[in-house]
Amino acid sequence: MRDIAFRQQFLTTLLLMPLTFLLWYAAGPALTYPATMVAGVALEAWLPSVVAEVFTEGTELYVVTHFADVNGNIVAATQADHEIAFKLNTRLVSYGVPFYAALLWSSRVDSLVGRFSLGLFVLWSLMALGLIAMVAKDLMLVIGDPFLSLNSVPPTPAIGLAYQTSVLLIPSLAPVVVWLFQLRDTPLWRQVADQLESSRSSE
Amino acid sequence: MYKFLFIFIAALSVLFTVELLIPVQTYVIQPFTTGLATVSAAIITPFDENVISSGRILRDAVGGFAVSIESGCNGVEATIVLLAGVLAFPAALRQKLIAIGLGFVAIQALNIVRIISLFYLGQWNYTIFEWFHLYLWPVLIMLDVLIVFALYLRWLATRDESSVEQASGHA
Repeated sequence: MRDIAFRQQFLTTLLLMPLTFLLWYAAGPALTYPATMVAGVALEAWLPSVVAEVFTEGTELYVVTHFADVNGNIVAATQADHEIAFKLNTRLVSYGVPFYAALLWSSRVDSLVGRFSLGLFVLWSLMALGLIAMVAKDLMLVIGDPFLSLNSVPPTPAIGLAYQTSVLLIPSLAPVVVWLFQLRDTPLWRQVADQLESSRSSE
Repeated sequence: MYKFLFIFIAALSVLFTVELLIPVQTYVIQPFTTGLATVSAAIITPFDENVISSGRILRDAVGGFAVSIESGCNGVEATIVLLAGVLAFPAALRQKLIAIGLGFVAIQALNIVRIISLFYLGQWNYTIFEWFHLYLWPVLIMLDVLIVFALYLRWLATRDESSVEQASGHA
């Protein structure tokens, strides 16, 4: 019985993934909008002297800075006829959403819509943090000192670590953690919790 | 369960930070990644003699298309996730070592499939290559980790059940 449930979970997840990825692609910016909006507001509030404007076009996030590049030197944009801007692919942090949807929709849980909404909220929060980390990494590498010398900016290793975590780990790991957490009170969760207890007591 | 989550996140943070250290990258990760390219080329060569591996790069000698295996494509992060999960779940050291060893093989086997598939997808259609490279393969590798960890838990449970049966049999 346990084997059937186990196989069913993963096979259904695999079967659902083409559909959820198709829906995610078709939804375009709609599925990332809350995250891009929060990231934009947070960046403008956190770095008003660096970030001039944040806006989205489709699934791309554009960050316009107050700086320009003149012959390889970073100067204030007022001293040049252009501004440095970054374009970020928001799908790099949002591809966990269709994965999460496939995992949850293939699970036998009640109040699926409520759980999915809550999970999506958590993923949006992590996506917003991920986008901020991606922008911080670009600002660190391109703008450099004017950005890094601000008191509110963390040290460069922390920015690097936040970027790597946000791009390499969180998008694929967060959906699994959120999904596992939402399996609480299901037979599968209780089974693992019981096993944890028995393993600890036998240690 | 909360203790498991705490240890898992702590182990994950430590291992991931250690992986990013320059000496670890230089002496462990990069040689390992080069090895992955060599193994991938060795697997492909009997079927396609135009494939050359050079360092972390896998190249088609005729078409010129090449893929470079970078961080995130070498399966190290996925292995770290599995390692953190196995370390956090209480079990005997021997069981943990078996899980880590077999899990590593399972992850890297699928990762080599990823590298080879991307190498050919890139030559066929770059848009599809980008899709698989950026969005689909990372998820499939994480699903692989999840399946390996679930199998490990089932194996532990089976061993627990059989030891209980043996104990009651002796009694």
